[in-house]
Amino acid sequence: MTTELPEELDPSLWLSIARSATESDVRRALTTSSPTEAKFAALVSPAADHLLEGMAQLAKRLTEGHFGRTISLYAPLYLSDYCPGGCAYCGFAADRTQPRHRLSRDEMMREFEALKAMGFEEILLLTGERSPQADFAYLRDAVAEAATYFSAITVEAFPMTTAEYHELAAAGCVGVTLYQETYEPVQYHSLHRWGPKRDYANRLDAPSRVLEAGMRTVGLGALLGISDPIFDALALYRHARALRRKFWQSGITISFPRVCPQEGGYQPPFLVDERFLARIIFAFRICMPDVPLVLSTRENAKFRDGIAGVGVSKMSIASRTTVGGYREPTLSPDGQFQVNDDRDLETFFTALRTKGLEPVFKNWDRVYSRGDE
Amino acid sequence: MGNEKKLNLGGQEFESRLLVGTGKFSSVAVMIEAIKASGAQLVTVALRRFNRERPSDDLLGPLAKLGITLVPNTSGARNAAEAVRAAMLGRELSGSRFVKVEIHPNPHHLMPDPLETFEASKQLAKEGFIVLPYMSADPVLAKRLEDVGCAAVMPLGSAIGSGHGLSTAAMVRMIIADSGIPVIVDAGLRAPSEAAAAMEMGCGAVLVNSAIAAAGDPVAMAAAFAVAVKAGTAARQAGLMTQSDTAVATSPLTSFLSGNQA
Amino acid sequence: MTITVNGNKYEHHGDGRVDQLLAELGSNPDAVAIMVNDQVIPKIERMGVVLKDGDRVEVLSFMGGG
Repeated sequence: MTTELPEELDPSLWLSIARSATESDVRRALTTSSPTEAKFAALVSPAADHLLEGMAQLAKRLTEGHFGRTISLYAPLYLSDYCPGGCAYCGFAADRTQPRHRLSRDEMMREFEALKAMGFEEILLLTGERSPQADFAYLRDAVAEAATYFSAITVEAFPMTTAEYHELAAAGCVGVTLYQETYEPVQYHSLHRWGPKRDYANRLDAPSRVLEAGMRTVGLGALLGISDPIFDALALYRHARALRRKFWQSGITISFPRVCPQEGGYQPPFLVDERFLARIIFAFRICMPDVPLVLSTRENAKFRDGIAGVGVSKMSIASRTTVGGYREPTLSPDGQFQVNDDRDLETFFTALRTKGLEPVFKNWDRVYSRGDE
Repeated sequence: MGNEKKLNLGGQEFESRLLVGTGKFSSVAVMIEAIKASGAQLVTVALRRFNRERPSDDLLGPLAKLGITLVPNTSGARNAAEAVRAAMLGRELSGSRFVKVEIHPNPHHLMPDPLETFEASKQLAKEGFIVLPYMSADPVLAKRLEDVGCAAVMPLGSAIGSGHGLSTAAMVRMIIADSGIPVIVDAGLRAPSEAAAAMEMGCGAVLVNSAIAAAGDPVAMAAAFAVAVKAGTAARQAGLMTQSDTAVATSPLTSFLSGNQA
Repeated sequence: MTITVNGNKYEHHGDGRVDQLLAELGSNPDAVAIMVNDQVIPKIERMGVVLKDGDRVEVLSFMGGG
């Protein structure tokens, strides 16, 4: 079921620049004003590693210009880890043996209360692939419940139809995150061993459906390391540009999940070290100065503190990637992925403020909109 | 836009990225020579009541000989219904599907009406016209016009005839950044350098009228604009260097990453 | 018959056919576009139009414009 990457997303024309640009090409890209694929390709190339400090300086100026000296905060809440999927790289894949859990309505409300008490106003509700235990109706009802607690509800679950996205928006969802994982069709096919996620084209088209349904924001990303990260960064850049051109009334955000080798488990074929990750983040910030760039607690405290405000404008903190987990924070936070920054809010805020950054829980209210619009 | 070799409007390709207007010339003869010197392949014309006293003012005959594509404009229309009628008349006469939607209700500043322009463009695009709407440099309006099927958008550089150049540059840049169709700066350009600047910015083309017609030597000025448009286009394709910010010493930002510092 | 042409009262002494009117006005039929009572009349339909008393006719041609 492998399908081709559509022409408007295909990064092939720029791969040679991205692979063999020289330092002087990177310098030139840093000084050209036009945000083209050629410029982005030079900035993600290996040669850019030698100019990282210069890229960081520019990324910081641009982040400050568009986002001020603030970091937007959100919290991920896993509603369910039931998953029929077969993603080779994921802790929730169907062939993993841990017991599964799904939050009941009561449990959900207690998690919402705990998160609200911490101060969060934006939460990201997550499930695995569509399953009988956590189907569309379950998710939609969770959104409706969450909307009574928080200013902004976003969802990261499974590709839906445009009609389903409409319903989700009506229930109070303002944004949908859906990572393509990898834009490279052959690798995509081999990593998604069974289940509905094997449908590459359907997943690729889903962000368009999100925006067609009038959702405010769509979150894009590629899981860096499961395939050629330069290919994926370029395709992700083109995807973001194409969506912005077509859905000019909507917002895009970009996240940078990076897969880490798991003990006795999945070993990613491509190594993306912290310098490489920083390079990709800086390239996006420089070429898309007004797009929120998001970093989760998958990355460690030192990296997160370094890159906050230097490209990255939105972050989670005090996260649990188990199902629920906020109500009883004494349990290990690790579920779908290992949490490498397990600091509490106060510690994180102190670190941000030392850098001159103010954490912000919310910058938007739903005051003017009606649920049925 | 602006990176392809030829200008593509509604599926038709053009070598020249300089469009010329035919108003305000001292004579039809000068106008014809200026158009030739400009190399323009798209030329705007207006519809006016036929004047029995001056039948030789008619342009159709002379322009037809030049092998250019006529773009009738709807100037004189004060609302969408009038503009649509003007477009139909223009298409009748010109045989081309192109129309410049120009609706300016205020006869002094001649600023385009966004609402009537949107309505007229929407209807005309449905009727199969290749619609080029003249508009204020409004990035949201530009996307609305693109959505209803316009072949390009034509944001004004400054008020018609004012010669104030690209005073809307910042807005035009925003329009270019998000546009899926060519952006053609129209109105207010005075000097060839401004046309070059518009092309360097990423415009697909420029439309020039007053600056040529009112120049001391319109034919020479038309040629100068042609050169400027080519220079600006070539510069953009060659990849321009930006003005660099003054270097400000700040503490290094990447010491949190291991490895050699740059 | 008395009609209005380009906003002015005009006495037409022919049989009301559009091409006759155009000839009277000294215009080149291929270089003008016509509206009768606010309706655009395409060239190929001119044959079928007969003017009557009180009709408003607009005869337009291309002039210089930006």
